[in-house]
Amino acid sequence: MEVLKEKVEEEAATERAEAAERGEKLLRPLDARREEAPMTQEMLRDLEKKLSEIEIVVPEQPLTFTKDSIDISKLPLSYQSNTLKEEHLLQVADNFSRQYSHLCPDRVPLFLHPLNECEVPKFVSTTIRPTLMPYPELYNWDSCAQFVSDFLSMVPLPDPLKPPSHLYSSTTVLKHQKGNCFDFSTLLCSMLIGAGYDAYCINGYGSQDICHMDLTRDVCPLTMKHKEMVQEEEKVPSKKYAIKPPRDLSSRFEQEQEMKKQEEMKGQEEKQRREEEARLLEVEKANIDPLHGLRVHSWVVVLSGKREVPESFFIDPFTARSYSTQDDHFLGIESLWNHKNYWINMQDCWNGCKDLIFDLGDPVRWEYLLLGTDKSHLSLTEEEDDGMNDNDDVENLGKEDEDKSFDMPPSWVEQIEISPEAFETRCPSGKKVIQYKRAKLEKWAPYLNNNGLVCRLTTYEDLECTKTLEIKEWYQNREDMLELKHINKSTGLNIDYFKPGHPQALRAHSYVSMQPEMDRVMEFYETARVDGLVKREETPSSMTEHYRGRSDFLSYRHVDFGPRVKKLALNSAESNPRPVVKITERFSRNPEKPADEDVAERTFLIQEERIQLRYHCRDDHITASKREFLRRTEVDSKGNKIIMTPDMCISFEVEPMEHTKKLLYQYEAMMKLRNEEKLSRHQAWESELEVLEILKLQEEEDDAHTLAISIYDTKRNEKSKEYREAMERVMHEEHLRQVEAQLDYLAPFLAQLPPGNKLTRWQAMCVKEECLSDFKQRLIDKANLIQARFEKETQELQKKQQWYQENQVTLTAEDEDWYLSYCSQAMFRIRILEQRLNRHKEQAPLKYLALEEKLHKDPRLVEFLKVFV
Amino acid sequence: MHRLYNSLEPRVMDEDMLKLAVGEQGPREEAGQLARQEGILFKDVLSLRLDFQNILRIDSLWEFENLTKLQLDNNIIEKIEGLEQLVHLVWLDLSFNNIEAIEGLDTLVNLEDLSLFNNRISKIDSLDALVKLQVLSLGNNQIGNMMNIIYLRRFKDLRTLSLSGNPIAESEDYKMFVCAYLPDLVYLDFHRIDDHMKEMAESKHQYSIDELKHRENLIQSRLEDEQAQQEELEKHKAAFVEHLNGSFLFDSMYTEDVEGNKLAYLPGISELLQAYKDKFVIICLNIFEYGLKQQEKRKLELDTFNECVQEAIQENQEQGKHRIAKFEEKHLLSLNAIRDESELTNFEMKIVEYGKDITELFNVLMTLEMQLVEQLEETINMFERNIIDLVALFIENVQSLMAQCRDLENHHHEKLLEISINTLEKILKGDVDEDLPDDLRPLFVDKDTIFNAVGASHDIHLLKIDNREDELVTRANSWCTHLVDTIHKNEIMRNRRRVKEINQYIDHMQNELDSLECSDVID
Repeated sequence: MEVLKEKVEEEAATERAEAAERGEKLLRPLDARREEAPMTQEMLRDLEKKLSEIEIVVPEQPLTFTKDSIDISKLPLSYQSNTLKEEHLLQVADNFSRQYSHLCPDRVPLFLHPLNECEVPKFVSTTIRPTLMPYPELYNWDSCAQFVSDFLSMVPLPDPLKPPSHLYSSTTVLKHQKGNCFDFSTLLCSMLIGAGYDAYCINGYGSQDICHMDLTRDVCPLTMKHKEMVQEEEKVPSKKYAIKPPRDLSSRFEQEQEMKKQEEMKGQEEKQRREEEARLLEVEKANIDPLHGLRVHSWVVVLSGKREVPESFFIDPFTARSYSTQDDHFLGIESLWNHKNYWINMQDCWNGCKDLIFDLGDPVRWEYLLLGTDKSHLSLTEEEDDGMNDNDDVENLGKEDEDKSFDMPPSWVEQIEISPEAFETRCPSGKKVIQYKRAKLEKWAPYLNNNGLVCRLTTYEDLECTKTLEIKEWYQNREDMLELKHINKSTGLNIDYFKPGHPQALRAHSYVSMQPEMDRVMEFYETARVDGLVKREETPSSMTEHYRGRSDFLSYRHVDFGPRVKKLALNSAESNPRPVVKITERFSRNPEKPADEDVAERTFLIQEERIQLRYHCRDDHITASKREFLRRTEVDSKGNKIIMTPDMCISFEVEPMEHTKKLLYQYEAMMKLRNEEKLSRHQAWESELEVLEILKLQEEEDDAHTLAISIYDTKRNEKSKEYREAMERVMHEEHLRQVEAQLDYLAPFLAQLPPGNKLTRWQAMCVKEECLSDFKQRLIDKANLIQARFEKETQELQKKQQWYQENQVTLTAEDEDWYLSYCSQAMFRIRILEQRLNRHKEQAPLKYLALEEKLHKDPRLVEFLKVFV
Repeated sequence: MHRLYNSLEPRVMDEDMLKLAVGEQGPREEAGQLARQEGILFKDVLSLRLDFQNILRIDSLWEFENLTKLQLDNNIIEKIEGLEQLVHLVWLDLSFNNIEAIEGLDTLVNLEDLSLFNNRISKIDSLDALVKLQVLSLGNNQIGNMMNIIYLRRFKDLRTLSLSGNPIAESEDYKMFVCAYLPDLVYLDFHRIDDHMKEMAESKHQYSIDELKHRENLIQSRLEDEQAQQEELEKHKAAFVEHLNGSFLFDSMYTEDVEGNKLAYLPGISELLQAYKDKFVIICLNIFEYGLKQQEKRKLELDTFNECVQEAIQENQEQGKHRIAKFEEKHLLSLNAIRDESELTNFEMKIVEYGKDITELFNVLMTLEMQLVEQLEETINMFERNIIDLVALFIENVQSLMAQCRDLENHHHEKLLEISINTLEKILKGDVDEDLPDDLRPLFVDKDTIFNAVGASHDIHLLKIDNREDELVTRANSWCTHLVDTIHKNEIMRNRRRVKEINQYIDHMQNELDSLECSDVID
C-alpha cells in the first residue's frame, strides 16, 4: 500500500510541475499581449519571481482519486463499453469537433467525450442521468445544491487550466464522496433536471476563489444580519377637526445651527468609515491571481421558464450558492450541455458572463451539436415558429438527413441512488468545515456528536481568525430542546435558545455564569405555563418577573432582596432564602371593576411594615387614587391593643367616597393585603426555587447528553429495533418449523416408484422399510463421523504433546504459551465431541422410533399399514 | 302543617329589631370591635337574616339599598311588600310564611334565587321582571293547574325548580309534563333529571310542545319585525324625513279634504289625480333620499369631530399623567429625604423645595388644561359653523323641493277648477251625464259654491304641505341648536371636572407637606 501511495504522489508531483510550466507558458504571451506598454526586464523578472512564489502554494492535497481505487469490475456493462448509437454519437462529436477547430482555430478544443472510470470515452450529455430523488428535501434547487456541496468533498482539477481527461459517472462519485467541479456539476445537474428544472452544466472559466472553493474572502451568509424592514410610518392625513398644536416658541435659528452641526459630524463619520472600507478592500485585493481568466471551472446554470424560475441564475456546485448571471466570479463560458444536447458559446466573453444571452435557440450565439432535440426555438413569435417547425419536420422526414435527426442516446449511467444513511450523514464522515471571511462554519451530521451539536459558527474579530468574537452552536434532538447556544466571547454573555417543550417552558436564557443569584434573563413560552410568566430578570439583589394573560391581571412583580442573614449550620440557598425587602406588583386593568377599586400597583415594604397601593386611573382623569397602610401594633394608654387608627391609613381619593373612610373597611382591606403579602413572598420564594431547578436541569443536561430519538426513527430507536428483531427472529423460527413440518420423509423413496400408480401394500411396506433403514444408516454414519473427528483430534493432540516433550528445552516462552493455549482448545474440542457422541447415542433410538411412528401415521401409507397391524 | 304561631304575638319590623339583627350578623372579633365603635350603616349591609321573628308585615327595609341576600323565612308574613327598594337583591327567602299570592317583586331584576316554599300560593305569576331567575322553590303550596308550568318557560336561566307538595305534583304526568315543557331544567324537586327521562318526556309531549313552540316563534318574529320597523322609523326621524318615502303626505292631504274627495268623482279627475299623485310622490321620495344622505353627512361630521376631540383629550391626559408620574417618583424620594433629615436648616430648605415642586406641578397641569381648552374651543367653533351650514343647506334644499310640491298643487288646482267650471257649465246647460254622484250635485249649484269647494280643497292641501315643511325645519333647527349646546356644556363640564381634580390633587400634596411640617414642629 505504501508503495502505491508514493507512486500516486509522484504522479501528482509531475502533473503539478507540468501544470505549472504550462501555466507560465500560457501566461507569458498573454501578459505580453495585455501589457503593450514597454516593460523593463526587471519588472518582468520581478513578476516571474512573484509568480513562482505563488505557484508553490496551489494544490497541496493529493489530486483526484486514481484509477486503482475504483473497482470497475462491479460496474454494469454500459459503463465498460459503448453501444452502437453511442459510437455513432462519438463519431458525430468528433466530426463536429474537427469542423469547429477548423472554423475557430484560436479556441481551445471542446470538452466533448472524456473517458469514464473504465477508460471508455463517453459523451458528456450521456453522463447526465436525470433522477428525481425520493427525498422531499431534495425537490428544490437550493437544497439540492446544498446537498451536493455537503455530500462531496472537493478535489481540485489535475490541471487548473484544462478540463479533466476523465469524467466519472455519478455512481462512482457518490460512492467515493469526492470529485472535481465537473463531477459536482454533473451530479447536481442530474438532480436538478430530475426535479424538473431547466438546468445545464457549464464548462467555463471562474475566478480563483470559485475554483478552489475558497470562501475566506466571502462573508458567511449566516452572519449577515437581516436588514430590518424600515417601516415608514404612514402619515395619517390630519383630520378635519384635529386640534392645532400649541405655538412653538423655540428659536428656529438655533435649531438650524444644531442641525448643521450634527450633519457635519455625520459627514465626518461617514468619510472616516468610507476610508476605512476602502483601506480594507485594498488589503483584500492585494494579491491578484496570475491565472485570472484561465482557470477552468464547471458550474450549473438554471434557465428561467420551468418550475416557476423567474430569472436565469448560476449555481456554484462547490458552495451551493446561487449567483446572478452577471456575477464577477464567472469569467467565461466555452460550452454548456444537458442530457439532450450540447451547445457552444459563440459570444465574446471579454466582459465575463455579463453580456451573455442565454437564448439557446439562437444559432448565432449558441452553436448546437445535435439538431432537433429541443430548444430549437429562437425567441420568435410562437405561432410562426410552430408552423415552420412543422414544415421542417415534414421535409426532414422526406430527406432522412442523418445528422439532423440524430437523437441523444440514453444515459449510460445507472440511476443515482443515495441511501437514507448517506443522506442523513451528508458530509463525508459526517463532518464539514467551511472557512469564511472572519468566520468558520463547522457542520456535523445529527447524532454524530453525543451532545446533539450539528453546527457551529465561530466569528472572529480579525482576518487571520485568531481572536474569537462569538460562537453560535446549533443543536438538534436535545431532550431539553436546546436549539441554539450563542456565546459572546467579548462580553462573556451566553444566550441559550430553546424550542417549545422544555419542562419549564423556557424560551431563552441569557447569563454570564451558571451560579444562582447572578445576572440572568430567562424568557418563557408563556402559553405553555400555568402562571403566564413571560420573562424573569435577575440581578444579584433583585428579581423581576413579567406576566401575560393571567386571570388575576398580574403583569409585573419586582422583588428586592436584602443581604443574606448568616447562619452557621445551613448555608444552601434553598434552606436559607434571602430576606425580602420590597415587593412591587403591577396589575393591568380589570374591566369588571371600577377604576377606583382596581389596584394598579402595590408595594410591600416589608421591613418598614408599610403597604402602598396605587389604583388605576379613570378614563377621563389624570390622577389616580392612592392608599398607604402603616402597620404598627401599638398599645394605647389603657393597655388595650389598638386595632386600627385613622393615621394608619393615609389615602388620597379622586372622588372621596363615604364607605372607604370607615375604619372597618380599612381594617378589612389591610387584613386582606397582609394575607396577600404572605402569598407574594411565597411566590418569590418559589420563583427562586424554580431558577435553581432550571439551572440544575441545565447542568445535568450538559453532563448527561441524552438525545431524543423519534419513534419514527427505526434505526436509532433501540427499543423498537429490539422489538423488530425479536419479531423477525420469531418469524424466522416459525418459518423453519413450518419447513420441517412439511419435510417429506418419503419423497425420495416414492420418487423411485413409477409415478401415477397407486401404491400396493407390498410397495408401501417396502417404502417404509427402506425409509427406516436409510434413516438408521444415517444415524450410524453420523455417529461414525463424530467418532472419526474425535479420533483425529485426539491423535493430533497426542502428536503435539509428543513434539512438546521432545522440544521442551529449546522452546521459547512464546511457543510455550502457544502450545498451552492449543492444548486447552484441543481439549475443549475433544470434550465437546465426546458430549455430542454421547447425546447422539442417547437420542438416536428415540429419533428412530419417532420416525417410525410418523411413518405409521403418514396418510399415504396408513391404510396399508393399518391392515397390517 | 303550620306551626302554632297564633299563640305568639306578631312582631313589627322596627329599627331596634333590624339594628339587633345587623349587629349580631356583622363582623366578629377585632373587626367587630371596630364596627361597634363606628356603627354600621344599613346601606352597607349586604346580607340580612330575619328568621323566626314572628314578623307579620315586611317593613322598614328601604334603607338597606345594597342588600343582596335577605332571609325572611319562618315568619307569618301574608303579603310580599316593602321590597321595592332592594334592587340589588340576588337571594330572597320567604319560605314558611302565609303568603297567598306572588306580588311586589317587579323591581327585583337581579334576583336569581327565590324561595316561596310552604306558603299558600295557588298561582304562579307576577314574576316577569325576574329575568335572571335560576332557582325557584315553590314546594308545599296550593298550585293546582298544570298550565302554571308553561308560564315558567320564559325564564331562560331557570335550572332548579321544586313543586313537590302541590296538588299538581300528585298527578301522574307531573314529572313528564315539567320535563317536557321546561327542557333546560336540571333539577326538579331536588333530584337531577336524567337524560332518559328527558327523552321520554319529550317524545310524549312532542306534539303539543311543537305547537307551543311554533306559536312562541310567531310571536317572537312579529316582535322582531315591529322592532325593526320601529328602528327604521327612528332612523328616518333622525333625518327629519319620516313618512316621506311614499304617498303618506299626499294621502294625508286628502283625508281631511271632504270637497276634494267628492270632486274626485268628476269625470276626468281620477286620471288627473293619479298623475298628480305620481309626480308628488316622486318629489317626496326625492326629499326623503336627500334627507337620508344629509343625515349621513351630518353623522360623519359629528363622528369626525368627536373622534378628534377625544384624541385631543386623550393626548392631553397622557401628558398630564406623565407629569404626575414624574412628580410622584420625585415626591417619594423627597418625602423620604425629608423624613430622614435631622438638621433643621436642611429640613426647611427641603420643605421649601418640595413646596416649589408642588406649585410647579400645579402650574404645569393648569397650563396644559388651559391649552386644551383653547384648542377645543377653536375646534368646537369650527364644528359649530360647519354643522349650522350643513343644516341650513339641507333646509334650503328641502324648501325648494317643497316649493315644487306647491307648484304641483297649484297646477292641479287650476286644472281642477277648469274641469269643475266646465262641468258646471254643462250642468247649467243641462246636457250632463246622469252618472254624476249624488253628493256632488249640491256643489254644482252655482259658480261661487264650486269655487269655494275647490278653493277649500286647495287650501287644505297647501296647509298640509306647509305644516310638513315647518315641522321639518323646526326640528332640524332645534336639533342643531341642541347639539351645539350639549357640546359646549360638555366641554365646560369637562373643564370644571379637570380643574377640580387638579386642585384636589394639589391640595392633598400640600396637606401632606403641611402635616410633615407640623409633625416636625411638634417633635
